[in-house]
Amino acid sequence: MPVPDLFRDGIARGWKTRDASRLDQDLTLEADIAIIGSGAGGATSAELLSAAGFKVLLIEEGPLKTSSDFHMLEDQAYASLYQEGIGRMSKDGAITILQGRAVGGTTLINWTSSFRTPEPTLQHWASEHGVKGLSSTELAPWFERMEQRLGIAPWVMPPNANNEVLKRGCEALDYSWKVIPRNVRGCWNLGYCGMGCPVNAKQSMLVTSIPATLDKGGELLYLARAERLIHDGERISGLQCLAMDERCVNPTGRRIQVKARHYILAGGGINSPALLLRSDAPDPHERLGKRTFLHLVNFSAGQFKDQVNPFYGAPQSIYSDHFQWRNGVTGPIGYKLEVPPLHPALASTLLGSFGRDNAMRMEQLPNTHVMLALLRDGFHPESTGGEVQLRSDGSPVLDYPVSPYAWEGVRRAFHSMAEIQFAAGAEAVLPLHSAGRYVKTLGEARQLIDDLSLELFRTRLGSAHVMGGCAMGEDPRRAVCDSLGRHHQLANLSVHDGSLFPTSIGANPQLSVYGLTARLTDGLIERLVASR
Amino acid sequence: MTTSLPVTPTLSRRGLLKFSLGASAFLATAGLGASLSGCSAQTPANDFITLRQGDLPILRALIPVVLAGTTAAENLEAVLHRLDNKLASLSPAMLKLTLQLFDVLALPITRGPLTGIWGGWDNASAEHIQAFLLRWENSSLNLLQMGHASLLQLLQMAWYEMPESWAHCGYPGPPKI
Repeated sequence: MPVPDLFRDGIARGWKTRDASRLDQDLTLEADIAIIGSGAGGATSAELLSAAGFKVLLIEEGPLKTSSDFHMLEDQAYASLYQEGIGRMSKDGAITILQGRAVGGTTLINWTSSFRTPEPTLQHWASEHGVKGLSSTELAPWFERMEQRLGIAPWVMPPNANNEVLKRGCEALDYSWKVIPRNVRGCWNLGYCGMGCPVNAKQSMLVTSIPATLDKGGELLYLARAERLIHDGERISGLQCLAMDERCVNPTGRRIQVKARHYILAGGGINSPALLLRSDAPDPHERLGKRTFLHLVNFSAGQFKDQVNPFYGAPQSIYSDHFQWRNGVTGPIGYKLEVPPLHPALASTLLGSFGRDNAMRMEQLPNTHVMLALLRDGFHPESTGGEVQLRSDGSPVLDYPVSPYAWEGVRRAFHSMAEIQFAAGAEAVLPLHSAGRYVKTLGEARQLIDDLSLELFRTRLGSAHVMGGCAMGEDPRRAVCDSLGRHHQLANLSVHDGSLFPTSIGANPQLSVYGLTARLTDGLIERLVASR
Repeated sequence: MTTSLPVTPTLSRRGLLKFSLGASAFLATAGLGASLSGCSAQTPANDFITLRQGDLPILRALIPVVLAGTTAAENLEAVLHRLDNKLASLSPAMLKLTLQLFDVLALPITRGPLTGIWGGWDNASAEHIQAFLLRWENSSLNLLQMGHASLLQLLQMAWYEMPESWAHCGYPGPPKI
């Protein structure tokens, strides 16, 4: 039975959507609220604002792809749904950065893991970064509301074999582990969350908040890049957008002028600060784009006698925070352990080497498990993150130096992962590093890991969580926005996305973005109503 | 664009710095040379969206080595087109970097000194190509390390995105829904 395509049905019912790539002339659009970015932050804000009676215009740089476009194929997904055609990386080319770019943003391609912002993180923001009013207790009602809205609950089915390794290893070692809460309804357990959910089970923005916004008369403009905010240093008077071609690579030459009473920036880490940089937004204390964090990730592969088939089944269902907070919030870097799904193209670049070595590793794919460590960056004085810069063509790039503090964590994480993999019954373990090789005992692995020269390029590094760059905090000398998401200098601009985070989260960030932006939007609605 | 430099006994830091500056100049020259060498060299080859005629011999030589142990070499033209499509989705900035990398590999003035492939790609042996890849992997120059990583990543992803590769890696493909 074919799966109904809710979004196409909505368009047929008369939703206002506009494909900027097809414009044959320039355009001017007006709205009460212009929202830049249709991911977790932008779409959550859009739903609440349109429900409150405001006319919302949701602007997305990427294409509109819906369930009938999702064929569970890596080539199609990477080319159409990821920033820079999955070519986004740190400035030096050493860290691959996975971020979504399509209607629904990263929620379209994330692996559904949904955690509330950890309490130690919120406490640290309050005590060290001047964030007010965002304690666990104060945020709890918004987290609860978003959990209900998006079907977030611990995964009830058994974990796939790839996740099961993490559980089994932790159990054997008496390390703590838990089941991951996921934002799904009626999940088919297919394993293709990263390529767009073909059955609309993932409760991404594409099937929840964006349809709700459009049902209330909101408007969606896609394949439109927000190029520049026009302002006088105090207020924004307009937004200039460039229509993009179908592939979302080059501008077509058509322009869209947007006028609104209030502007919400929700392009996510990297893109949100970049728009402000391109717009010469006031930045008297040079905070813009600074302290951008990645949850830098390193990986360890394990080979098992039994098939793992790491390409099938819910991609993430088990995690361990055993090494997350044990050294204190600000001590040596903590990390969360999870696993990635392994489809052939992504697996081939993760597993490393080339020629016969890589081919032999790939031959073992069905018996291969991979674990990853998300390093909690930004909590220690030596962990200052990266800086968003503009290339000569105005596009953004993240300069992210890996500190000795982070490298120390990478090495510890290699040890932890190898230990857990062997405890789970791995026949061989391979730390993903150019000097790594499959070794058969924990002793050999420990020696190998201790001898690794931890450097860029030699160590396989990635990130799927870009956070910060428009940090919030009450002190304008240290932050770009206040704790209500209001830009410190531009009165009618709010930032509602993960770029607000003053540090990384210490957990997959999507629910942090939902909960925080829902709360910020409720506050914004109150202020807008009061001044109407 | 600096990374930590591994201390090698054969090359002093000063010598390394000189080499590094020399190589950067080389790369700049290559980019400039390529952009001055006329439109014909910069236009896509027949049937391609991004790849130029001059890129094809390089890639035809690299694919059987980077993807040795697979059947990629038997699907050479299909891999080239898959790669071409991937490149066509990159941001202009990343595409430009990639094409500059191909320029460095194509132009004799940079190819010889930087890759050790002196006689042209058509005649390069698998051993020479392996040596070039290892040399770039172990280079202390960020640009060469980045070039090595990009070549591997692009070719491996292009190949393993193709259903022709899946039998080899035991992937049955996406389920029917």
